[in-house]
Amino acid sequence: MRKRLRIYLPFAANELKRQLAYKGAFYLFILVNLFGSFISYYLWMAIYGSSEKAVIGGLTQKEMVVYVFMVYVTASIVTASISTMVSDDVVKGTVAMNLIKPIDYRLSLIAMASGNMAYRFLVPSVFIWIGLEIYKIKVLGLAPVTVMGIFLYLTSCIMSFLIYVLFDFCFGMLAFFTTYIFGMRMAKDALLSFLTGQLIPISFFPAAMQRVFDFLPFSSMVYTPVMIYLGKYTGETLAFMMLRQAAWVVLLYVAGSLIWRQVTKRLIVLGG
Amino acid sequence: MNTVKRYLRLYRVLVTQFLKTIMQSRVDFLIGLLGFFFTQVMGIAFLYLVFQQIPSLQGWTLDQLIFIYGFAQIPRGIDHLFTDNIWLVAYRLVINGDFDRYMLRPMNIFFQVIAEKLQPDALGELLIGTILVVRSLTKGIVIVDGLHIALFFVSIFAGALIYTSIKLFFASLAFWLKVSGPFLQIAYDMANFAKYPTEIYSKGIRFLITWVIPFAFVAYLPASFFMKADTSAGVVGIECGIAFVFWWIAYAVFHRGTQVYESAGN
Repeated sequence: MRKRLRIYLPFAANELKRQLAYKGAFYLFILVNLFGSFISYYLWMAIYGSSEKAVIGGLTQKEMVVYVFMVYVTASIVTASISTMVSDDVVKGTVAMNLIKPIDYRLSLIAMASGNMAYRFLVPSVFIWIGLEIYKIKVLGLAPVTVMGIFLYLTSCIMSFLIYVLFDFCFGMLAFFTTYIFGMRMAKDALLSFLTGQLIPISFFPAAMQRVFDFLPFSSMVYTPVMIYLGKYTGETLAFMMLRQAAWVVLLYVAGSLIWRQVTKRLIVLGG
Repeated sequence: MNTVKRYLRLYRVLVTQFLKTIMQSRVDFLIGLLGFFFTQVMGIAFLYLVFQQIPSLQGWTLDQLIFIYGFAQIPRGIDHLFTDNIWLVAYRLVINGDFDRYMLRPMNIFFQVIAEKLQPDALGELLIGTILVVRSLTKGIVIVDGLHIALFFVSIFAGALIYTSIKLFFASLAFWLKVSGPFLQIAYDMANFAKYPTEIYSKGIRFLITWVIPFAFVAYLPASFFMKADTSAGVVGIECGIAFVFWWIAYAVFHRGTQVYESAGN
């Protein structure tokens, strides 16, 4: 374990440094992402304003405000994309180098993603989170989150992160079949923003679709930690949700290994 | 007249070359198209799910919102199809010094930039936009008469021109900043606000997307003209005015930029 840390920690540290070097662009992209949250915020305000019911999809208007911004915080921690790195490596052929080196390619990618995650947790997520928490108590008049709540939320987030990264690794394998990963990513991001609950809480879907989602990993990526944060899961449900996340981590890890073994068999890289 | 003919011929030659490169990778073409198509389909699915819970959104029905959404995609798609290369000016061409090649040829520089590429991904947006507008026609929520049909096409082209102008303006900043991609990205993403009725936003945001970066005039405002009989045709008039003014400013900035352009290298 210690040896592994020694090998893979520099990948994470490097990624963190790389991100720090391009601060300007990074802050601008935060702004762009926050735009999305504000559009959602105003839309939901109008939706609750037009509704006769006080509770829609199991959430009150105040809870929905927390939901919208916690989705932003959670998604920016969780969605550390590695498929771009995979596709870059495959298209340029540098993936061959990673096969020669005595390191595990996937672990090195996960380490880089962790560096990325650490950075995004520090800026801006933690500040938006604190801001939201203050707004929640002062303006919305909701109870502050408990220490236990924070602990459960962060644990769930880490599993979400692993589910996302392991899934994204499998997704990145598509680069072996098509080089136009930009288009694939557009489609993936669109589907994920919908299926993970970023765009709209899963509880808004028809019951039959929710049943299907129970068997897919996507709701475990964003929806589950946010609902845990909102205190919507307690007792057995909570335990079940977190176990399900853990199960997805294991399942996607195994799936990734299998695909990787298959795909590297048919790899041909030109040039020396 | 001869110049116009010459440019039309050049455009055909350049685009033919580009189409050849697309034909090499038909799968990529389909993927890109699906990517943009999906993004918009999810937006519609969102509205659909929300309307399971509420009868109308501040007086707008689901069908009306879908029309606004679909109508917004058409000018966006047209601009995306023809002028996608502007993004590269903002992100890459100026800082790399690749912009040199446009400076050397005896052709209009802006013409060269946009003639170099057609973006087939845009067909995804145009496809969904057309489907949704046709759907709205069959539902009978859009006013159909001579004036409205004529202004529909005017509005689409003015809207596309507004898109192009905003893109060109922010991309031209690259001549001074070297890379202006992130700024362009922010301005471009402002368009997402205008897919919904602007009354739902706070005053500040409404002012911003109506008068500063006027995407409301590309999508929501003209769309409501086509649905509500009591809206004045002046909306489309203002849209055209804005399109010309913005184009004039953007092109002036671009032109000035090409004069201060310094190539990269040693």
